[in-house]
Amino acid sequence: MPNEPLLAEDVRKVYAPRRGPRIDALNGVSMSVHRGERVALLGRNGAGKTTFLKIAATLLAPTSGRVEVFGHDVGRAADLVRPEIAVVPQEGKPFFHLTPREQVYTYLRSRGMSREVAHDRGERALAAMELAEVADRLAITLSGGQKQRTMVATVIATGAPLLFLDEPTIGMDPFARRGVWQSLRDLTREGSTILLTTHYLDEAEALADRLYIVERGRVLVEGTAATLKQEVGGTLRVTVPQGARLTETLRTFGRVVPDGDTVHVIVDPGRLTEILGIAVRERLTATVGPVTLEEAFLRVVGRSIDDEAG
Amino acid sequence: MMRPAEGVRHRWLPRFGGVLAFAATELRVQLHEALAIFTSMVVQVVLLVFVAILAPSYFGIALLGAIVFSAFSLGQRVLNEAAYIRVDHKLNELYLASPLTPEAYFLGIAVGVFLAYLPPVVGLVVIAEAVLRFPVVTALLLAGLVLAVWLFAASMGYILSTAFHDMRAIWSYASLLYNLFGVLPPVFYPLGLWPAGLRPVALLLPPSAAAALLQNSLDPGLLAPPEIALAAGAVGVAAFGLFLITVYWARRSAQER
Repeated sequence: MPNEPLLAEDVRKVYAPRRGPRIDALNGVSMSVHRGERVALLGRNGAGKTTFLKIAATLLAPTSGRVEVFGHDVGRAADLVRPEIAVVPQEGKPFFHLTPREQVYTYLRSRGMSREVAHDRGERALAAMELAEVADRLAITLSGGQKQRTMVATVIATGAPLLFLDEPTIGMDPFARRGVWQSLRDLTREGSTILLTTHYLDEAEALADRLYIVERGRVLVEGTAATLKQEVGGTLRVTVPQGARLTETLRTFGRVVPDGDTVHVIVDPGRLTEILGIAVRERLTATVGPVTLEEAFLRVVGRSIDDEAG
Repeated sequence: MMRPAEGVRHRWLPRFGGVLAFAATELRVQLHEALAIFTSMVVQVVLLVFVAILAPSYFGIALLGAIVFSAFSLGQRVLNEAAYIRVDHKLNELYLASPLTPEAYFLGIAVGVFLAYLPPVVGLVVIAEAVLRFPVVTALLLAGLVLAVWLFAASMGYILSTAFHDMRAIWSYASLLYNLFGVLPPVFYPLGLWPAGLRPVALLLPPSAAAALLQNSLDPGLLAPPEIALAAGAVGVAAFGLFLITVYWARRSAQER
């Protein structure tokens, strides 16, 4: 489909530094993002999420493979892709000697918007990011979360057809994160398409229509949060810290996911009493909760999302 | 949405849409550092004071040299600024993944910095005019050479900025270039004091070539006609040639390999 917002086929990226070993950052990533979707790349730090996003955003050339944005090749026709996109870079910071209002307004002007449109869009984005109170303070005086919200406001104000957001809510407090999520939902309702990277499981679950779990430069699985959780094989998770020595016993109750010395067991409600009884007998604590995306991630990747990728 | 055929026609030509808006952004950023704008004149003023005390007869030449040196150092600021935006803020990604073309991004930084740091240079020009009473031809030559030297230095600064990943590494290289192009060759002092055997070298380096052309306009006959051609050609080719290379490089480096 030529006008798909994003289409990637067998994308590979190899970094071959003059010194040190070669790094296979992407090993054949294929994906598509449909119009109006919010899609998340979920993975550990170093999994390859940012590399893919930078390639799709015309900022990095792939070693091989093909990426098209609205039918244009991101390598050969980057100049046709760039007017259609906007990017929140990972760890990007606004100009310290501009205010959030100036940052958003001047960015929109540099994208070719008229003064009136830039002003109106800027004010709406600042309000959506709850930056109105600090809109005239120099960015250097803002907190880390406020600076990040300024970056997000700058990008959502563009109303670009395809937005790339690399860890957009990093450093934000929970309320601010929810504000960002709501703004992104509003944007897709208005017709934009969003590809974001995150290593926050709750963010992926709350925000994304579809997820790609990325590990060591490969897409391991794709689906909705609901389908990924269904594939875990139970509805409850029993977490037993220091339960590694009981792994074999616990395996008889359901799927066991080791996480260091901690063991997570995915069970159906009918066997809950039995497994808690074992924990009590062994003088171990055990906690019970619903299966979340964390279990799905552990099942697919085999490690916690908080572990650094090797 | 734009169809591929529409965009293909003139894609090889430089496109500078949005450059003024981005230059205005950069200008606002720079104006918040007012003290830096005035301290940018420290080297020039110190050297002028030395010349005024040690060799007052060369003061006029040193004044013109200070203007040329200022144009060079003003362009060189692009090295620090472009690297700072990219390394410390990662804002290059925000601007390059947008309708602003890479060449407009480069020129926007250069023009913004140029406008911010221009007032003290204008002050130097006013003093030079008061001291030297130079004719209109020299004034026009000065303006043209200042722009050419600035464009050369800004282009060189932008290309070099793309090679660094650490701001601390940049400072030493910036200082080296500053001295190699602006202080060592005959920019602040007469071309006649430079070793005769190395004269072509001085006439090939844009700042000293510009200074030599200015010295020649005040003292006709200082340069032989072939030397004038060499110096003018060096300044022109270096400025516009490197600018075109930088346009190419800005596009290429916008998409990392």
